[in-house]
Amino acid sequence: MVTALFGHRDCLGHVTPEGHPERVARLAAVADALAGMDCLDRREAPLAERVDLLRCHPESYLAEIRAAIPAKGIRALDADTHVMSGSWAAALRATGALCAAVDAVVGGETSNAFCAVRPPGHHAERDTPMGFCLFGSVAIGAKRALDHHGLARVAVVDFDVHHGNGTQDLLWNEARALFVSSHQMPLWPGTGQRHERGAADNVLNLPFPPGTGSARFRQAYDAQVFPALEDFAPELVLISAGFDAHAADPLAQLNLVEDDFAWVTARLCEIAAGSAAGRVVSALEGGYDLAALGASVAAHVEVLTEWGERQ
Amino acid sequence: MNETPVEEMSFEAAMAELERVVSQLENGDVPLDQSIALYERGDALKKRCEEALKAAEARVEQITTDANGAATGTVPLDG
Repeated sequence: MVTALFGHRDCLGHVTPEGHPERVARLAAVADALAGMDCLDRREAPLAERVDLLRCHPESYLAEIRAAIPAKGIRALDADTHVMSGSWAAALRATGALCAAVDAVVGGETSNAFCAVRPPGHHAERDTPMGFCLFGSVAIGAKRALDHHGLARVAVVDFDVHHGNGTQDLLWNEARALFVSSHQMPLWPGTGQRHERGAADNVLNLPFPPGTGSARFRQAYDAQVFPALEDFAPELVLISAGFDAHAADPLAQLNLVEDDFAWVTARLCEIAAGSAAGRVVSALEGGYDLAALGASVAAHVEVLTEWGERQ
Repeated sequence: MNETPVEEMSFEAAMAELERVVSQLENGDVPLDQSIALYERGDALKKRCEEALKAAEARVEQITTDANGAATGTVPLDG
């Protein structure tokens, strides 16, 4: 089967302040990187439904974010996270993309999917926007797979260079979800130590020191992540695909290259083929060097299409 | 006033300066001769923003449409 690609022009409408790394041009770079891939099943992301958002965020939080959006200009919610008139629609499209991708993949329309969206989501906690993120899109997608589609086990793998503190917060008590995050430490947001294991031993954190590089990254995934995933036997694998662990990224120093993203994607697809009928849903998180972001997304989606065709 | 040529400005930079210009003009305390220059600067910034956004939109349309401009997948109805 083919790989679905979800996106929406509304994701351009979230404008950040001058000099902010999470900027409009990121999505244009991603779009360019995927433009030549004729085999993709290209779809518009719908707006997320309230029922999906409420699985991870309380009503009061949705109201708070909505009320924080200024009539004009850009408002800082903290030092990193901003909202303006286009932010609500962009964040709803980003989360809606995850929900629609889960529906398409679990429903058997496509074997896997990539969501080319912004703002990212993996830092948004239950009651707190942070790290450029408003809604925990990937966690919301995981909850939809569990609660709406009735899957028994869903894995979320987050290889963004920053700890997925939001996804960890949202899935902490969810025994049906295994959350794995690899990230640089020390680095913002400072969480993601090994002893953070989740309420049901359902969280696995792999902190890496600056300068880790390809070999040690791969060894750690081989030794810890893949065996844990195989034991868990997920029925769906979600990926928080941040590409800021790339050597060229300005925000971190893990020093990975495109081929590392292709490698980890292939191994995750292989595990999904074993227990999840190949079902993989991936979503863009970070990645702030435009050239590295484009090349990394292309490598990642290329592997998704290769594995999609095998199903 | 920042006199960086508008055609060299990023989308975000042009937006930020446009907002500063608009709020200066809205405040009404700018002398007439300066307000004309400000208006011209604002007009150029607005054009720059529109062009940059249009270009980005054209590129991002590629996510949801194929080379012929058509969506290749079915649009889910129930989200």
